[in-house]
Amino acid sequence: MKRFFKWMASGWMLVVFFIGFFLFWEYSIPLFEIPRYILPAPSEIVSKGSADLDKLIYYTGITALETVLGYFIAIVLGLGFGIAISFSSILRRTLYPFFVSIEMTPKIAFAPLFISWFGFGLMPKVIIVVLVCFFPIVLNAILAFNSLSNELTLFYKSTGANTLKTFFKIRLPAALPQCFVGFKYAAINATVGAVIAEFIGSDKGLGFYISIVTGNMRPDLAFAGIFFLTCLGLSVFGFVTMMEKILIPWHISMKRMNN
Amino acid sequence: MKNFIEITDLKKVFVSGDEQIYAFGPASININSGEFVSVLGPSGCGKSTLMLMIAGLLDSTSGKVEFEGKLVKEPKTDIGIMFQDNTLVPWRTIKANIELQLELRGLKVKDFQNKIFNILKSVSLEDFADRFSNELSGGMQQRAAFCQAMIHDPKIILLDEPLGKLDAMTREKIRADFQKLWMVKKPTVIFVTHSIEEAVQLSSRVILITPRPGKIDREIKIDLPYPRDLNVKKSQKFVEYLNSIHEVFHEYGVI
Repeated sequence: MKRFFKWMASGWMLVVFFIGFFLFWEYSIPLFEIPRYILPAPSEIVSKGSADLDKLIYYTGITALETVLGYFIAIVLGLGFGIAISFSSILRRTLYPFFVSIEMTPKIAFAPLFISWFGFGLMPKVIIVVLVCFFPIVLNAILAFNSLSNELTLFYKSTGANTLKTFFKIRLPAALPQCFVGFKYAAINATVGAVIAEFIGSDKGLGFYISIVTGNMRPDLAFAGIFFLTCLGLSVFGFVTMMEKILIPWHISMKRMNN
Repeated sequence: MKNFIEITDLKKVFVSGDEQIYAFGPASININSGEFVSVLGPSGCGKSTLMLMIAGLLDSTSGKVEFEGKLVKEPKTDIGIMFQDNTLVPWRTIKANIELQLELRGLKVKDFQNKIFNILKSVSLEDFADRFSNELSGGMQQRAAFCQAMIHDPKIILLDEPLGKLDAMTREKIRADFQKLWMVKKPTVIFVTHSIEEAVQLSSRVILITPRPGKIDREIKIDLPYPRDLNVKKSQKFVEYLNSIHEVFHEYGVI
């Protein structure tokens, strides 16, 4: 409760801004005579959207499944490859430059190919989400595991501890903050990957819904779909932020001290 | 016990491209057990390089280091080590950071609880055991790092400008703490510094390193009684030591 009031003390400006934004949107539609097939008012989006609520919720579930599945696979693969590359000089000279060069290609360009290879089902969407999320995770993980300070490296060497022990007691916790930079960046991209994959070829999901209703001149429903998509994106990002707080509370407090 | 550490023709050359950069040496010295030896020299002369080679933490280009007649081929583990930037990890409290040293060595943390409290108390940090390092001032952090380096009673302590980033008053206080602990436990200390006063106050012997490429030019035995408190520092002899070392570095063109 105390924290809520504290938040309100600093957050009220944001709340006022949002209310103002939606009021401006609502009343500028009649004011500037904007046709509703171009831009619907927020109130209309809510009323029309709630009539389609069952479908929206079902499709949100579909897109959420693709996003979350792809995201977690990307984390497992990204961390795995990141650690392997950090510890192996051969991989660092081969896989690492390969990953860096692929990072430069827009991964979304592969989406039509995956749809044509793997069909309209769940798998191609998950693969595209993995592809979009994998690179920021793996590149940040490599950076994370290679940036242990010289002093800490000499310190653990002077103790004679084995690789496994130093990994879990020093290298892994030291690397986590930078790993989370990658996780967070990937979380933002995850829903983008899922939606674009659905745009290109699917028969369900929020991306499919948005492209169909837009084709039917129903921007009100498209906005309803976008609203659910935003909620999904925020949930994924919120989950990662929460995990960061749970796993590396010391890092959060350190950042706060520095501010 | 003579020749506890024996260093013979030790040399380090770093190669960058076609260029060879002499980092240190060649140099030979002997260090006795229980000595407090300062390695004093201008920055960039290779004093840290020397220290790391002694500990086996850095390979030498040629020459050898022997401990009690045994050749150093890999990192030595019966040491405690401390740098200008401390080795406290931010995800552990001060106490847990000291325990990290024990855990990494496979020692039973439970058996050391009293010892941890006592060593923290000896540097007046007993009330900060459960704080995280970023909640402590720079001087307190270095005192905690000192406890971390000492908790397993190492025979050899390597200090690489541990007070380099601290203000003059804090340095003075921590020097006194160091000295107190050294007088009790008598480990062999190799102390890298560029502070002449610090070297003279703490050491039984000061080794002077020339500017690049660093070589051992002279060594000076400091014949003053311990503990070297304010009275000793005010003495004529102390000031003479300072002046003679000043003159040497003036000859080198460093100051």
